[in-house]
Amino acid sequence: MSDIGYVRAADQGSALALVAEDPDAVFLAGGTTELDLALKDQVVHPSRFVDIGRLPLRGVTRDGDRLRVAALTTMEELAADPTVRDRLPFVREALLLGASTQLRNMATIGGNLLQRTRCRYFRDPEVGACNKREPGSGCAAIKGVARMHAILGAGPTCIALHASDLCVPLVAMDAEVELLDADGTRTVPLTQFYRTPGDRPDVENVLRHGELVTHVQVPLLPAGARSGYLKVRDRTSYEFATTSAGAAITVEDGTITWARLGLGGVGTVPWRAWEAESVLVGAPANERTFRAAAEAAIRDPFTVPGTAFKVELAKRTIVRILRTVTS
Amino acid sequence: MTATLAKENVIGRPIDRIDGRRKVAGAAPYPSDFDLPGQVHAALISSTVAAGRITRIDRSRAEAAPGVLTVLTHDNAPALVDPPQNALGSTMRRPLRDDRILHYGQHIGIVVANTRAEALAAAKLVEIEYAEEDPVLDLDDPRAAVEDNPFGMASSRGDVPAALAAADVTVDGTYTIGAEANSPMGLFTTVASWQGGRLVVHDTTQAPSFLRIALSVMFEVPEENVRVLIPFLGGGFGAGLRLWSHTVLTTLAARVLDRPVKLVLSRPQMFHSVGHRAASRQRVQLGADRDGRLTALDHDAIAANGMGDNLPSPIVAVTPATYACANVATHERRAHLNIPYTGFMRAPGAVEAHFAIESALDELADQTGVDPVELRLRNYAEVHPESGKPWSSKALRECLEVGAQRFGWAGRDPAPRSTHDGDQLVGQGMAGASFEFYALPCTVRLAVDRRGNATVRTAGTDIGTGTYTITAQITAELLGIDVENVRVVIGDTDQPPAPQSGGSGLAGALAAAIQNAAGELAEQLARLDGRPGESFASLLDRHGLDELAVTGYSDLAGAATHSDVAPAGAFAAAYAEVGVDEELGVVRVRRLVSVIDGGRVFNAKTARSQAIGGAVMGIGMALLEELAYDPNSGRVANGTFGDYLVPVNLDVPDLDITFVGEPDTFNPTGGKGLGEIGIVSIAPAIANAVHHATGRRIRDLPITLDKML
Repeated sequence: MSDIGYVRAADQGSALALVAEDPDAVFLAGGTTELDLALKDQVVHPSRFVDIGRLPLRGVTRDGDRLRVAALTTMEELAADPTVRDRLPFVREALLLGASTQLRNMATIGGNLLQRTRCRYFRDPEVGACNKREPGSGCAAIKGVARMHAILGAGPTCIALHASDLCVPLVAMDAEVELLDADGTRTVPLTQFYRTPGDRPDVENVLRHGELVTHVQVPLLPAGARSGYLKVRDRTSYEFATTSAGAAITVEDGTITWARLGLGGVGTVPWRAWEAESVLVGAPANERTFRAAAEAAIRDPFTVPGTAFKVELAKRTIVRILRTVTS
Repeated sequence: MTATLAKENVIGRPIDRIDGRRKVAGAAPYPSDFDLPGQVHAALISSTVAAGRITRIDRSRAEAAPGVLTVLTHDNAPALVDPPQNALGSTMRRPLRDDRILHYGQHIGIVVANTRAEALAAAKLVEIEYAEEDPVLDLDDPRAAVEDNPFGMASSRGDVPAALAAADVTVDGTYTIGAEANSPMGLFTTVASWQGGRLVVHDTTQAPSFLRIALSVMFEVPEENVRVLIPFLGGGFGAGLRLWSHTVLTTLAARVLDRPVKLVLSRPQMFHSVGHRAASRQRVQLGADRDGRLTALDHDAIAANGMGDNLPSPIVAVTPATYACANVATHERRAHLNIPYTGFMRAPGAVEAHFAIESALDELADQTGVDPVELRLRNYAEVHPESGKPWSSKALRECLEVGAQRFGWAGRDPAPRSTHDGDQLVGQGMAGASFEFYALPCTVRLAVDRRGNATVRTAGTDIGTGTYTITAQITAELLGIDVENVRVVIGDTDQPPAPQSGGSGLAGALAAAIQNAAGELAEQLARLDGRPGESFASLLDRHGLDELAVTGYSDLAGAATHSDVAPAGAFAAAYAEVGVDEELGVVRVRRLVSVIDGGRVFNAKTARSQAIGGAVMGIGMALLEELAYDPNSGRVANGTFGDYLVPVNLDVPDLDITFVGEPDTFNPTGGKGLGEIGIVSIAPAIANAVHHATGRRIRDLPITLDKML
């Protein structure tokens, strides 16, 4: 039996030190992913949890046209924030379409960014071939039951999906992550925070060991922009997205003057559809443009038989959300 | 309170469950709630390949691990006797029989330690090597061994090929249904304890009397020395109808250690340890005249079965009795695969058959232009189509008509794709359902005491359907006492033997046995010279008796063989309205009307709960649920509640549930079982509604969004 230590950090400094001094120690926030992985599934093996749940990293502040969200703010708290409701409505929609009320009351924003994939091959220790757990061991999912898996940023080493809803509008809005360790603070754009699997599917982001996500900064929608988040799934609630899209658009005289598009349910990382945005800006807000944007967004997908349907579904999801926010 | 006059209108009343307060207060003991003095904890060792042989087992690291008391595998465990076939036709390949691996997750050993955590940790330390073989996992795999008509369920009347050839209109469709997991909330548990030569087992079973027999044979102890206790079960939906290897292994470990041993399955283990609805493929061919009158019905079904297993999959059993048709043929096959053992799941066979037949009838309605409801009425079986005898009760016509009225079917535009609502195409579909009569013998002990209380005892259990409550209601009415004065002792094989809670057979058999006992009691009371209006208390007092106890018995199936009516099961009709977002493929049920003929309803509230549960499960079957096996390893690839999707509240619209019909004329209490009928017509009604919405006929369940793109 492997014992896992637990210590509650008294303050930020000791939290950083307690993780930094032990290469196998991890931060524990809401616990909605980490405890499953370590205790139930036993696919990660931390030496100890450093509980940061009581650190004063909670709350939402507004600084001009930016929102600064402390990492321990819960999903429900962020969804209830008046500025989010008025100026980032698609962030609120994405939050409330995620998980369940019970989980949203526990899960933190920092934890949401760092959630691990739901791939059942990753989460079952009886499966030997998982490059994400053990680089070089192979990928059983590619030849297996793949449905809730990625088609963008995926490759023969790994097709595990980043399943966050929240991150879809966040990458679309150029959110930034504030990171802290003993050396100080750095700020990383969320679009550069994640790493596609490549030859190291086990390395999912640029976070260093012992580095703590303290805040997420989100620019507010510009005046006149409209946004929306669409989540497509078989079960009406409490299911991860089969595909999703978050769009924010400004239309002037029938022409799109500003556009942001993020995709969920399709990427190994929260997916920013840059190419689609290029198609949209300057084009008329019509079906033809939307379809062209969708085609541009889903270019060169990596599919397996179980995920092939997502190519067309993702495109239709994009068209639908663009139609919705421009109508 | 009289000894001779029955109390009226207790049966049928929607009273609260008499065990409800205990359940919501957490005071009802489910199997996992039992802890015995000196008890230790078990964990299972499961195969990580789907086919082959075990070539090496090294238990040494596990045996040396903290707290470990024993590790049992096939090469060191005491031999057991093979279990007998039970009344459901189910047998089992006994665990630890040899080195063969027949499916992924097969229980190949058990570890017992002082704590559950120690047992789980040690189970991972057992080193096992396999000579792995390529598993056969798919119904279509040509390597699969296929048996033809293994249970003699194939049947034939008339001349189907000639009738098909001569038909004005024909339909020929192939329908597939994915494997489904029963998914009860309660984790299956065994707590086994040997007390001298006597075995006491708390076990999650729907069939305590069968389990007692099986354990008595396997462990070579007299039946009377085995006691199975299951007062509260925690849901089964058929999963508790078979003998499972975890029960046997826990009992074995308890005997080896001579200590009480407890095992609670994990949720992932539930997906491969307690059965599932087998994947199936059916072909239905219909022949009809231009008015939609059936002239031929050919029904061929193949279902998956575990390797080396022997479970009946009665898909075609109900077919000959569904509709009036002179020429009917059924064919049954099963394919043996390296999958976890299949089991029974709510309305086994009947629900699969109805998806195929009721979908095919919808196709026939489409071809002939006859309204789907009218089509079913034109082919209504006024008498039992096989025996020609009148039904003991049948209100399917009322189900169809009342359902149509409540749903507003008359206003429906028959053309597919005729109704839009925003982004959705709206469709309406319906289906009928016929359920087979089924019963096994049942015995009860009924006693009245000097305080005017009655006690009913039987081994059968309550799987959450309301057996406690209807037992009390029936007894109260027949004895003329209040429900509060009836004590119900069930789920204990030290009580008289009863059938399983399954096949919608327990309520009818139990009610008939109670009635038989009440009659016996009345005779005894008459012999005691009871005065009109005299209470039990007074009568017993006068004779110096503490209590009066009688035995009641029913054998409805036996009586059926010489009955001049055809005993009927329940009937139903379902009407569904769906919205299909065609661009995104998403199907949602907007409205659902379910009308059920369950004969005399024993409790309107618990009956309604059964109908609701069946409808919800039917929505899952239609739109969400499918067990996925990894095509390489045979491992269940979605064995969690995050990955195997059952309906949530938002998937279920307001349900309109109605009961129709008259008391059944064959069952002396007028009741018919209704635990399963509620699911039978739901999936075809939804699939037919999807066709009406979109013009697309999906013959493959579940109808997930990828199939709609």
